[in-house]
Amino acid sequence: MGAHLARRYITETDTEPDPARKYEFDPQLGFDERKEREMVANQEQMNLAQLPLEQRDYCAHHLLKLMKCKRDNWPNFLACKHERHDWDYCEHQDYVMRMKEYERERRLQLRKKRIEAQAEAA
Amino acid sequence: MRTSHSVRQRPSVNMAGVGFRRWAQALCRGNGSGISALVSGCRAASGVSKGSLPGPYPTTPEEKAAAAKKYNMTVEDYEPYPNKGEGYGDYPNLPERSQHERDPWYQWDHPDLRRNWGEPIHWDFDMYIRNRVDTSPSPVSWSSMCKQLFGFIGFMLFMFYLGEKFPSYQPVAAKQYPYNDLYLEKGGDPEKEPEEVKHYEI
Repeated sequence: MGAHLARRYITETDTEPDPARKYEFDPQLGFDERKEREMVANQEQMNLAQLPLEQRDYCAHHLLKLMKCKRDNWPNFLACKHERHDWDYCEHQDYVMRMKEYERERRLQLRKKRIEAQAEAA
Repeated sequence: MRTSHSVRQRPSVNMAGVGFRRWAQALCRGNGSGISALVSGCRAASGVSKGSLPGPYPTTPEEKAAAAKKYNMTVEDYEPYPNKGEGYGDYPNLPERSQHERDPWYQWDHPDLRRNWGEPIHWDFDMYIRNRVDTSPSPVSWSSMCKQLFGFIGFMLFMFYLGEKFPSYQPVAAKQYPYNDLYLEKGGDPEKEPEEVKHYEI
């Protein structure tokens, strides 16, 4: 917790990824084949549900199921635990993917630096 | 046989009307002038007497003593305002202290004003009442208070500046959105082709 900040501002200021900037490495680098993320809910459905922009991510289909369940079961607010868990789990997996992307970028930066250092030493 | 007198009934008289008539008569007869004549022929004892109003700046010691007596002060305490033509006359120059500084536990004649009967009234007494300007000393010296306040504010501003320069964030990549980063939802032109944004699982 916070080691990345120490790396970014103090120790490895040139290799630690900057969240404000776009990641520069090719997404396929290092993978044999990469599966694309598939979006289940289509735009029309999201528009009809009037989802705010922040919630129109790759877990929106779980959210739409949850909203329907809540609306059907009102006033029983304890009814949609399963749907809520599905949505939460999907969001959790999305967050873990974000962490992995950050780490991938960081390691690629370090690798790039090592290669450059080797090239200079040579 | 006695003749019975009918008791002569006096017609009922409006006493206010009688008073009004007498007043009108006195007015015509009276030798006063202006409003004092209209209002009353004599003054109440609560009015200001001739010798108690402020007068011109005292120059001789006798005038000073008289002025001190007029204002219920001792001659040693009495000190008029400097004679710069500002119109103070012989009014005493009392110390600029508000009523907050007076003893709250003493039994003043007027407890709210913290003043005794007959005490000389400050030129700015209405400013120095307890609801208004307070000249009482601060618990800590002024310089110390200033240092503490501006020190704290300056420190906070400096820390906020540092927070802007070196923001804290979680070590995660940006959130990925579908449909070319929600090109249409964010108001993109439907005619134009957006740039392709692909996201992959990891």
